[in-house]
Amino acid sequence: MAQAQQQKRSLQLTEKGVAEEGTDTDEVVISISAGFNEMKDETLAGEKHADVLREMMAGLEEEGVTARVVRFYDNLDLGVIGLEGARLSGSGISIGIQTRGTTLIHQEDLVPLNNLELFPQAPLIDLETFRAIGKNAALYAKGDTPEPVPVANDPMARPKYQALAALWHIKEMQHKDESKEPTEMEVSFE
Amino acid sequence: MSDNDSHRTDGSGELEGSARKRSKRFETLDERAVTEDGFVNEWPEVGFVAMESPNDPEPSVTVEDGTIVEMDGKERAEFDFLDRFIADYALDVEKAEEAVAIDSESFARDLVDINVPREEIVELSTAMTPAKLCEVVNQLDTAEIIMAMKKMRTRKNPGNQCHVTSVDDNVAQIAADAAEAALRGFYEAENTVGVARMAPLTALAQQIGAQCGRGGVITQCAVEEATELELGMRGMTGYAETVSVYGTEDVFKDGDDTPWSKAFLASGYASRGLKMRYTSGAGAELNMGQAEGKSMLYLESRCVLVTKGCGVQGLQNGGISCIAIPTSVPGGVKEVAAENLITMLADLEVASGNDQTFTHSDKRRTARMMPQFLAGTDFIFSGYSAVPNYDNMFAGSTFDSSDFDEYNVMQRDLQVEGGTNPVDEETVIEHRERAVRALQVVFDELGFPPITEEEVEAAIYADGSKDMPDRSIADDIQAAEEMMDENVTGADVVRILAKNGFDEIAENFLGMLKGRVAGDYIQTSAVFEGDGDFDVVSAVNNPNDYQGPGTGHRLEGEEWEKKKDLRFATDPEDI
Repeated sequence: MAQAQQQKRSLQLTEKGVAEEGTDTDEVVISISAGFNEMKDETLAGEKHADVLREMMAGLEEEGVTARVVRFYDNLDLGVIGLEGARLSGSGISIGIQTRGTTLIHQEDLVPLNNLELFPQAPLIDLETFRAIGKNAALYAKGDTPEPVPVANDPMARPKYQALAALWHIKEMQHKDESKEPTEMEVSFE
Repeated sequence: MSDNDSHRTDGSGELEGSARKRSKRFETLDERAVTEDGFVNEWPEVGFVAMESPNDPEPSVTVEDGTIVEMDGKERAEFDFLDRFIADYALDVEKAEEAVAIDSESFARDLVDINVPREEIVELSTAMTPAKLCEVVNQLDTAEIIMAMKKMRTRKNPGNQCHVTSVDDNVAQIAADAAEAALRGFYEAENTVGVARMAPLTALAQQIGAQCGRGGVITQCAVEEATELELGMRGMTGYAETVSVYGTEDVFKDGDDTPWSKAFLASGYASRGLKMRYTSGAGAELNMGQAEGKSMLYLESRCVLVTKGCGVQGLQNGGISCIAIPTSVPGGVKEVAAENLITMLADLEVASGNDQTFTHSDKRRTARMMPQFLAGTDFIFSGYSAVPNYDNMFAGSTFDSSDFDEYNVMQRDLQVEGGTNPVDEETVIEHRERAVRALQVVFDELGFPPITEEEVEAAIYADGSKDMPDRSIADDIQAAEEMMDENVTGADVVRILAKNGFDEIAENFLGMLKGRVAGDYIQTSAVFEGDGDFDVVSAVNNPNDYQGPGTGHRLEGEEWEKKKDLRFATDPEDI
């Protein structure tokens, strides 16, 4: 399969039905927004969603924690989907991610705008950081208190990306469906 | 990504056509900083438009028995909570029908007509609905907006505000930079923190520094609202401006807020003698995807009127933290000047933005501030970064400490008051030293982690935090907690300063505390003159009376002589 390996990894997300509340304390839910891998297949930083998800899952697996992927259609607010994901997660911990790449780690007993770790500048999040986010989420799931993943700051991120980020968010709102329940997704990489 | 067969991928995710020969001119242009900026074409359906969205309402108003029953095309029963708040608290109901009935073009002409005094305009503009204010301002081009701002600014003399922050929350550096900023002429200094728990110490350091220069520079520390209020009540700060209002109901609700809850918070400051203004600015609603298809200017005019309705004296707007959204669309820089003007038309103080990065281009960032700079506003920048941008904890400002000379030269070139003055190196060093020595003594007496001689020396000569030795944030956080637990107040600090021979700083610090008791500086557009006498200058005792040449604030006499003093100009007598 040498030829296939040279190609970009692609991601298939298939609906498996309404997401149930988990009981396995060794799991972390990855909450993805309505347009993730649909409206776009990469973040504002240009990282492919396939790679982003793979890295977060690898970060979790390294620590012996399983990932469940749940898509939220009814809300685009990262704080909300992060928190709702945490409530579905057996460990009470979730990672939330929007199409543009804005990411957080959430916990079931917090309020939406409070969270464990927030990565607000989507254009600055690289794959290495996504892996570290996965690892930290796993550590929280196991009851540890890891050092937070360092947050990048760049005064020129706003000039380059703020308007685009708003535009992506508005586009993603067209994928919103308030009547649709959080949905368990089957993940396959090709 | 499509599988368009006329292209093939080059492996980096970009499409590559058949080898196209590039113009060297265009290749050069592609290298320019401006191509790094985010630009977006208009999309009015969702509100991605600076001014005049097709979805903006037509102005209208109907008053029955002293109540507004219809406004901007909506019956009272259909009002959202912003409409209702504006109709009930922001507008002069008695004059509303008359004001809305005026021909907008003719009123816009009055704005730039030097024969029509400011008071006459305000009498009607404060009775105008959000849509009416937009319709009036939409008639103006940018030069006319500048002319209108020159007349409509509430206080006669323009001014400036700065940011004093450190990426390491280094207190010695903050004290020294606040002293230098005060010396350079800023009326207000704003701090915020990298680590939230450091706020009590950085606020204290900034206040000591700010009072060692001229006396009467008002300071704030932008942090979580309850902490911010408490720091103010203790006398560590003198004003607040980071209470945000928004132009749509959905965005308000997302923050679990209403105009009423914001009004309640504002009264918390006012009742304790603390100056405060709100913050809004174009793009915030779009950033949340909740702009209802309205133009940025229309939504901002609602923010201005919510502020007015809350009884708050002023507003910080002109894009602010979402500035790169309006500036991405056509007319965006004009729009941010227009929203400053609407604030003035509501008879409010305006801190007019120019505070956060929106471009990679030096020319663009300079052009963006020209309307506020040429017209003069209450605070042309809100804030100018008095530290290098790498230390700016508001994610970078449009102008920073490395632009100090260029900004002074622009004032000297155009004979314009920009709110800063040239200073000489020796005086700066002297003031920085006094500030950091005073802080050292205060830390010592309060039993906080000592400020070492090495830190003092570094802070005096530093450009930014990279020039400072390492300092334990964990120890400082502990001291900050002690400071709050032990109820250390401004009065304690004044006592320590006086006891240790820092009489002037003690007097000035005390002056700030007295100012809060007197409360005169919570009037519209109030600042202290900054000469240590604590005389308040505001829209009340120094109203803008501009009516053409020979009137209003003019940069002349002693003030103009100060601007001429460029430290690297050649003196003909030396040759």
